[in-house]
Amino acid sequence: MKPVIALTKGRLEKQFLAYFESLDFDVEPLLDKGRKLRIETSEFSFFFAKGVDVTTYVENGIADLGVVGGDILIEHKPDVYDLFPLPFGHCRMALATKANYEWPNQKKRIASTFTNITNAYFKEKGESVDIIKLEGSVELAPILGLADAIVDIVETGTTLKENGLVIADEFLHFSARLIANRSTLKVKRQQLVPVIERFKKGVNEE
Amino acid sequence: MFLPAGSQDETGTQIANRLKAYEIFRKVTEERNYQLISTPVVEYAHTFTNKIAGMDLHSMLKWFNGEGEIEVLRPDWTAAVARAIAKQHISCQKWSYQGSVFRMDKDGTESRQAGIEIVHAEPFLGESECLLTAIHFLDKIETTNYIIELGHTNIFEYVIRPLSLTVEIEEELRNAMHNKNRDLVQQLMAPFDNSVKETLIQLIDAYGGNEIIKKFKDIWVNDVELSKLLNHMDKLIQLLESVGVAEVIVDLGRVKNLPYYDGIMFRGFLTSDGSTCFSGGRYDKLYKQFEMDTSAVGLAFDVDILSQHMKPSKTKSIACIIATPETHLFAEKQRKELEEDIIDIQYDSINVSKYDVVYQVIEENKQLKVVRK
Repeated sequence: MKPVIALTKGRLEKQFLAYFESLDFDVEPLLDKGRKLRIETSEFSFFFAKGVDVTTYVENGIADLGVVGGDILIEHKPDVYDLFPLPFGHCRMALATKANYEWPNQKKRIASTFTNITNAYFKEKGESVDIIKLEGSVELAPILGLADAIVDIVETGTTLKENGLVIADEFLHFSARLIANRSTLKVKRQQLVPVIERFKKGVNEE
Repeated sequence: MFLPAGSQDETGTQIANRLKAYEIFRKVTEERNYQLISTPVVEYAHTFTNKIAGMDLHSMLKWFNGEGEIEVLRPDWTAAVARAIAKQHISCQKWSYQGSVFRMDKDGTESRQAGIEIVHAEPFLGESECLLTAIHFLDKIETTNYIIELGHTNIFEYVIRPLSLTVEIEEELRNAMHNKNRDLVQQLMAPFDNSVKETLIQLIDAYGGNEIIKKFKDIWVNDVELSKLLNHMDKLIQLLESVGVAEVIVDLGRVKNLPYYDGIMFRGFLTSDGSTCFSGGRYDKLYKQFEMDTSAVGLAFDVDILSQHMKPSKTKSIACIIATPETHLFAEKQRKELEEDIIDIQYDSINVSKYDVVYQVIEENKQLKVVRK
């Protein structure tokens, strides 16, 4: 059976394909996949899922390997081998608010998709805050008055800027990472180790 | 009515297989002179969360009792058995148990285990007996496609000892090794001795067959302590191979995931889907909380995993005897005549298609008899 690799849909997808091609893997079937979520190449079975679901599939052994953002791993702490960073998908976590915003003299309200990361950040600062969990478009929260600030992932900062937000602090830098299921890494090691070594070589050559 | 998340009703093959696994496990351990032990499902949290046992309270199912003490549903057998057998006479060495553990970090709240604990035994004897019991049991439940993995907590602990790390950094490093997170290990080791960093990075990838032991025997040829650990693991590998285990692997970079582990660690993977069917190891330290300086080693099978993978039992033929309230007793007596079959007595012939054989009680010459329909 071919190694099964779970890939994160969206932002990381295109960057992975470019990286994968640079390692001389066969990417042809992945380029013309249309809306298909499962693709077979000559060497691998791929499927595409949301970042957090990639970790769930790998943790449960449905996928042997996965490519996922480091932010997801820190936020959700899945029980997987978190092998090494890949040379794409670079971003950072930022605390952002409206330009010239005057912080209220009371407990702050912080909106974020990354509630665990937000909680840990303010805990380390020794500050109590109320965290509001949002599923997306978190930039809206300070603009519409739901929260004083947001904690969110930032790649170029353009979205923040276009929505009138400024970065108050930056912390944690991430990239995409290669993860592996704890058991199948051992059981299917003859198949998986050469693949991992090829990925690793790509990282070292960066 | 609904069930809480993580709980489930079960019927059919899964439960039949589980009961069969429990029964075979009981027979195997009885044949090997283990004594049965059972501990209560409800325990004080402290049994598991004290400094030595070191388990995380967050993942336990817990509540306050009337006196304000935290009680939990048993999250782990090993710490519970240690509490119970610490009071037993030293001549009792081998214990076996079976039952559920409850944790919120698992897929289901309840999972079933069957396991053994060996105390006060000569270390190699205890470890060999653990592994040989595991093989004996797997053989009896006709599970043949598995891999046994050995690790040793003291490799990592010995390698980092010269660094005198703070407790926090040491724990972070241990976690990074547990996750095989190469860049985090490099980052944490940046301020320290380069040779230790290189060794740890090598250990991340030190999993595989005999070739790994050979490679590291060469690398550590001048290190008495590490050579001793490798020789110890090698002896166990030879034992396992000589009893016919198809594949034995090592992971020299494995670290303890509970503070009480101290020495050899073992794990069994099913090759069909990579699931972990047993795990265990040495934990002499656990008994220090009872002021006992002893040898202790054990392992636990995940009975839920095993029962999912067990081959279905050879089923007997299922016969139905159609009787009436007046002939029911006569039909009941026929069980002796048809003892090779599973017998179900019914009063009507609805759904007879689900039976392999159907008999009917009839009266002939004022005598009752069964005839095949």
